[in-house]
Amino acid sequence: MARRRHVIVGGGTAGLNAITTIREQDAGASEIALVSAEPPYSRMVLPYFLGRRIAESHVFTATPARLEALRVQPYLGRKAQSLDATARRLTLDDGTVLDYDDLLIATGSSAIRAPVPGADGRGLHSFWTLEQARRVVAEIAPGSRVILVGAGFIAFTILNAILDLEARLTIVEIAPQILPRMIDRTGAEMVEGWLRRHGVEIHTGVTLTGIEESPEGKRLRFQRGEDLLADVVIMATGIRPNLEWLAGSGVAVNRGVLVDDHLRSSVPTIYAAGDVAEGRDLVTGEPALHAIEPTAMEHGRIAGANMAGDDVAYRGSLLMNIVEVRGLEIASFGAWEAQTGETSAMLRPERSAYRKLVWDGDRLIGAMIVGKTNDIWTTNDVGMLKGLVQSGKRLGPWKAHLHRNPFDLKRAFVASGTTASLLPRTLLGRPSIPAEQIP
Amino acid sequence: MKILRIIPERCTGCLRCEIACSYMQTGTFQPAKSVIRVSSFEAHTSYAPYTCTQCSEGWCMTACPVEAITLSPVGAKVVVEDRCVGCKLCTIACPYGTIFYNPDTHKAFKCNLCDGHPACAEACPTQAIEYVEAETADWLGAFAAARAQPHLATALARGEGR
Ligand SMILES: Cc1cc2nc3c(=O)[nH]c(=O)nc-3n(C[C@H](O)[C@H](O)[C@H](O)COP(=O)(O)OP(=O)(O)OC[C@H]3O[C@@H](n4cnc5c(N)ncnc54)[C@H](O)[C@@H]3O)c2cc1C
Repeated sequence: MARRRHVIVGGGTAGLNAITTIREQDAGASEIALVSAEPPYSRMVLPYFLGRRIAESHVFTATPARLEALRVQPYLGRKAQSLDATARRLTLDDGTVLDYDDLLIATGSSAIRAPVPGADGRGLHSFWTLEQARRVVAEIAPGSRVILVGAGFIAFTILNAILDLEARLTIVEIAPQILPRMIDRTGAEMVEGWLRRHGVEIHTGVTLTGIEESPEGKRLRFQRGEDLLADVVIMATGIRPNLEWLAGSGVAVNRGVLVDDHLRSSVPTIYAAGDVAEGRDLVTGEPALHAIEPTAMEHGRIAGANMAGDDVAYRGSLLMNIVEVRGLEIASFGAWEAQTGETSAMLRPERSAYRKLVWDGDRLIGAMIVGKTNDIWTTNDVGMLKGLVQSGKRLGPWKAHLHRNPFDLKRAFVASGTTASLLPRTLLGRPSIPAEQIP
Repeated sequence: MKILRIIPERCTGCLRCEIACSYMQTGTFQPAKSVIRVSSFEAHTSYAPYTCTQCSEGWCMTACPVEAITLSPVGAKVVVEDRCVGCKLCTIACPYGTIFYNPDTHKAFKCNLCDGHPACAEACPTQAIEYVEAETADWLGAFAAARAQPHLATALARGEGR
């Protein structure tokens, strides 16, 4: 019998997790081809490369030697161009044709720029790929005037690095607050105050209308208010999934590739995982496009297991983010934004601490936390908040307790037996093996 | 595999485990850097230490984007310091709240079972922490629930909360 042939398109988090999971199960019995426009690396550690905390080599997640050990046939620097799902045939940008038994779509997302005149000019950057990161690294020097356009999560992940490089940072955001998709207004105000005290200039509710070269530097114009000048402009104005190559393939696409609880697309031999996949959200049960690392990892492992012949159903992905700015932690989980749920919130301005819990009955469906990195209460509690939302544990009388004091989380976590309900849970129905110990 | 079994009924709240742990992990006596943490129950009349269960999923390990968390020879999930970039993804992936971030070193840290000689178990004067061959379990749930009843009842009687 011919060996089963898997084709993985995209060598990021989802693609690599799928590969290691296939190998964990089949110990090299199948053929795996990896097509990836970029070599395998972790995008989410690029901020540490920018801040000079790690060397560039640290970002790579699989070297050629590692791919060989995993018995992967690499097509790096190649792009998938078109997919014929009926013939089970993938065509690459150099004309190479790959036949497969099953295929994984894991092409991630790309940064998009606000449609502003001048916004594709030189000296304007995105910060999504290693190539883009290298350009930003080369341009920021001590004293540089850096403007971040967009105050979303990705912008915030590079904030510490920019300040560590002793640049002068200004953030401009069209929404009335920073981090509009991660925290509420109250949390945002606390973070804005903190950042201003750390020397960051913030302009919210401003609409950029154009960017021009001028003798003093790049001049940013706004619908209202004064122009701003910069040496380096980084546009963090959103991302979109890389789906163009699927045109005409017959794979059903909504905002991303629609997948079932096995990470299978509308075509049974085609799976999708990571930023491109629109799969079940753990809390809402609805299809969602997350674009976060943990979702890409879990998608990749579930898809890999099923491609290797296992039968693993996925409960869904929990939306979660954490980012630290100058010693202030900001994290949110699940449906922190839910308009319908009851909430329990508490602000402790003297400690720069804020918590908000969102309820569905006596279960937590979302949570938000802001607090100082060196405040043990903050760092102890982020994980337990995740556990409470992830487990959906019914908290009974502890709900009233947490409503009174959202800071006394541990007692509720421990006494509600949340540990017992989480311990039997594993993603693949078996203990995990560290990827480096595979194959 | 040998794991830490916690017998909360035996804990007297002396905090020696925290002190021994922080000394073993960091070389200094700083309970804030301990990865085992004692909580009080029932208005400080009872106590119990809480630490990593070395769960089978290893949420911290699978979440790490750069494979900086691995399995040690004694089966503990451990942070490989020179691979860790300090991104904290593990601290939100771990649903038990038992992996931490050290702002001084910019690294994550957690229980590594002291490579097979857990300082907390050795330091405990009442054998409330044992290092034994066993299945991991929720050691504190029932203990805490029983001791919390009066606490909750009082709070509810005072008409606090909803
Ligand atoms: C600066 C930054 C910070 C971040 N911080 C965090 C964080 O703190 N927490 C968090 O949860 N997430 C974070 N993220 C997001 C996280 O990195 C992504 O969600 C994750 O990488 C998604 O994994 P993926 O496998 O779906 O896609 P990717 O990792 O993007 O991999 C996609 C791969 O597909 C390749 N590709 C694209 N098109 C094609 C094609 N046509 N043919 C072949 N190959 C193709 C790409 O080159 C790439 O190798 C961050 C991202 C950035 C950029």
